[in-house]
Parts: sequence; C-alpha cells; structure tokens
Amino acid sequence: MMTMNMWLGVLLAAGAPAQWLNYPTPGIPRTADGKPNLAAAAPRTVDGKPDLSGLWEPVSKGADPQFTDIAKNVAGGLPFQPWAAEAVKARRADLNKDDPDGHCQPLGLIKMHLHPYPRKMIQVPGLLLILFERNTEYRQIFTDGRPLPADPQPGYNGYSVGKWDGDTLVVESIGFKDGLWLDISGTPLTDAAKVTERFRRPNFGTLEIAVTVDDPKAYTKPWSIMVNQTIALDTDMLEFVCQENEKDVPHLVGK
Amino acid sequence: MKKYIFGFVAMAGLASAQWLNYPTAGIPRTADGKPNLAAPAPKLANGKPDLSGVWMADGQTYFFDLAAGLKPEDVVMLPWAQELQKNRIDREHGDDPLSRCLPHGVPRINTNGLFPFKIVQTPGLVVILYEQLNLFRQIFLDGRTLAKDLNPTWLGYSTGRWDGDTLVIETSGLNGKAWLDTQKSRPATDALRVTERFRRTNFGTLEVVATINDPKTYAKPWTTTTQKMFLQLDTDILEFICNENEKDLPHMPVGK
Repeated sequence: MMTMNMWLGVLLAAGAPAQWLNYPTPGIPRTADGKPNLAAAAPRTVDGKPDLSGLWEPVSKGADPQFTDIAKNVAGGLPFQPWAAEAVKARRADLNKDDPDGHCQPLGLIKMHLHPYPRKMIQVPGLLLILFERNTEYRQIFTDGRPLPADPQPGYNGYSVGKWDGDTLVVESIGFKDGLWLDISGTPLTDAAKVTERFRRPNFGTLEIAVTVDDPKAYTKPWSIMVNQTIALDTDMLEFVCQENEKDVPHLVGK
Repeated sequence: MKKYIFGFVAMAGLASAQWLNYPTAGIPRTADGKPNLAAPAPKLANGKPDLSGVWMADGQTYFFDLAAGLKPEDVVMLPWAQELQKNRIDREHGDDPLSRCLPHGVPRINTNGLFPFKIVQTPGLVVILYEQLNLFRQIFLDGRTLAKDLNPTWLGYSTGRWDGDTLVIETSGLNGKAWLDTQKSRPATDALRVTERFRRTNFGTLEVVATINDPKTYAKPWTTTTQKMFLQLDTDILEFICNENEKDLPHMPVGK
C-alpha cells in the first residue's frame, strides 16, 4: 500500500495534465469522415527517414504497466545477479521508500518511457530531442554520427547516440549513474549498463521502442522489453515541478 | 554573506567542464583556421536567422541585477514591492526559490553566466534547453496566440514572432513566485508579461533585451540594457540535478 501511496503522491504533486490549450496539432492525416487517421503512414523528414516528432504517451493512457514491474512481460523473469535479486527484495521489503521518483530525482531513460505523462520528440538534423512533462526535463540523442564517448560523466540519462537502420532509429547509451531504478519495484541499473533502444514509427499514431538492457554487473545476460506509445493530439505538456511544495518525503520511511 | 546564496547556486551544479570536446559543426573559420565568431549569423532556408547553438551569458551581471546599467528612475517599484524587496535583502536572500531548486522564472533563466543553454530551432517551435536545473522552455512560432487565462507556471507560456532579424518572445501565465534577479531580489507578480528580443548579431554573439511589464509591481514597464550571450564551441550542456544530495537547505540564511 505504501508503494502505491508513494506513487500517488508523486502523481498528485503534478496536478492533472489538463487539456489546457486544446491547440490543434498540425498535419494530422484524416479519414474521409474527418477523423484523425492514426493508421496513415508515418511522416518522413526531407532526408526520407521516418519523423519521430510528436507528443507521445503510453497506449495504456496512464503509466505503462511496466512502470511498476519492468519484468512484467519478460518470460521467466529477469536474469538477476544474486546481489541484484537481493536488492529488489530489500527495496520491496522497505516499501520502496528510496525510489528516486518519490524524491523528485530523475527517472532515467527507461523509466521515462513508461511514465504516464506525455513526452514530446523533436527530430532535427543531427539531434533527436525528447522533452518530458515529468519535471520539465529533457534528453538529447545525438544523431550526427559521433561515437559514444569513452568515459562520459555519469548521469541519469547517460549519453546517447543514434543511427538509422532502415526505418528504425537505433540508439545506444552508456554513462549511467550507479544505482538507478528501472521501475517502482527497484529493479536496478548499474554504471556498467549499455542500453539499446530501437525506435520505430510504424504508422502515424504509433511509436514502438524495443529496449535492451545489457548490464553484466546486475544481470547474467541481456534482456529486452517492448514499449508501446500512442500519439497525443491537440494538446501539449504542462509545466511539472516535482520539488514545489513537496510534502511526501518525510512520509517515505519504510516499515 | 550576500555572496552565500550565489555560491550555493553555483556549486550545486558542478563546473560545466569542456568534458566532451566534440567539435561543433559548421563553424566559419578565418584564414588561419581559427573560429571566425565575427562571421555573419547563419540563416535558415526560410531566410530567418538560425539561433541554434550552445550559448552562455557574459558573466552574471544581469543574474545579480536585471536592471544593470539603468537609472534608478527607469525602474519604479510600487511601495509594497519595495517593502518585499527590502525584506528579502534583510533576510540575506535566503528565500530565493532558486536556492530551493525551483525554476528561475523568465527572464532570469537566461542570465546566469555560469551555465550554458542550448537553442534548438525548428520552423514552428524554438526550444531552449537550460543546463542549470535541467529545464526547457518551448516558444511557439506557429502563429498561436497566448490564451487569456493560463495555468500559472514558473516559466510561463511563450509565443514568438520575427521582427526583421529579431526573434520577439512574449511570455505570460507566470506564477509570480520567481525573483527577477539575485542580489536585487526584485519581485514580480502573476501579472508579469515579459518580452524578450533575441538577435544574433554575428556568428558568435546573441544579444538579448528583456522588457518587464508588471503593473502590479512596477509603475511602468522597463527594459534591460543589452545582455550579451556568447556562443560556446565544441561543448554541450551537462546534466544538472539541483535536488540530488542537496545539503544546503538547513544552512540557508534567514536574516539576523
């Protein structure tokens, strides 16, 4: 229950993401009866690549169920190293009081994909930018051909470079802070991780992100999940400042 | 003691080191191969100046005093606001929301010359990514107008239009909680409307002028002197999490 409380606390801190502006999204393909045709072909940029730009949210219209348990759809569960399995158990026993999300810390790139609030992708030459409603954060993915740096400064989002494989943008990231949580349950990610995301926009209304985690410190072998998002039309992100009037932390005490 | 708060804000972020040294693309060069920052500003296909790049304010002059270079009679604060300003200064600026990891507000967010910001320009939308606090602003250039009754926020809602080579940004819907500057601790209210004029005068220079129009706080609108921002080459913005391992709050000054 406390886990749920904590999550609700974080949720409530934001206010509802109201349809504050209702400003129409330009360029929506329409069916004959004038409705948005989400099954239409994905738009493309001038260089012929799929354009991932748009405002996206989980198809579940709330948090992706994997936000709570990232292993939900992983057959046989995650291939934890022993300490990592213990860490998850201990975090659960402690009512997940140290979940960075509950303390207004960034979620890191994977959990961000699963968060209920919308995110806006902006694709320009050399750069894919993701703006997140959650805490008014952003993430940069460099698509200008640069290699991954050898020893990047560790961060919540790591350092990301992307290149196209046909119609799929393949993004590789390293440089994570040690001790990140991938879900509310406390599934760990360490500073040894390499994360690969394969972004596809199979039609106008759908974004698919296949995420592979290769983190030998925490897992005995790489594992993957699928993230499904849908386009959000005629709306935008609101400002979210988690830290403002924050009252939850004193109550995150575990058992 | 007045330097205290500034010290905190500065140190919370770590230094913005030239950590990657990845070369910035498209730098014009002089004959000897050095970056030619005096070259003309680049333009987009539609002929408008391209403001894209990593920029940083030239020092912290306007971060400390947004009215730097103006005469006292240019900035006429209403009595209640004078009182509040005095109170904030008497309390040694310890109540500054920025020192509690809350957003800077507009236009203060452009002014801190310790942290770069990055402009990403598309035809209908300009995004500004700020290193300090990891925040972004969206500036819509798609012809939309500001709604009358906006949900109040720290960074407001912004629309932009071109006036010749100048990007004119109008911002309203501000929550009135942010301070306009640090040392002077000037207040503003939710009636604040900010006009920022961004002009890239050459490849390496962005000039910003902000007008403060807040009839609840100031007897008349006032406009800053020209703030210079310089292009930062071969680097990028870093991740900045103010709230991480934050230990300063119990030590913040609260006045004598």
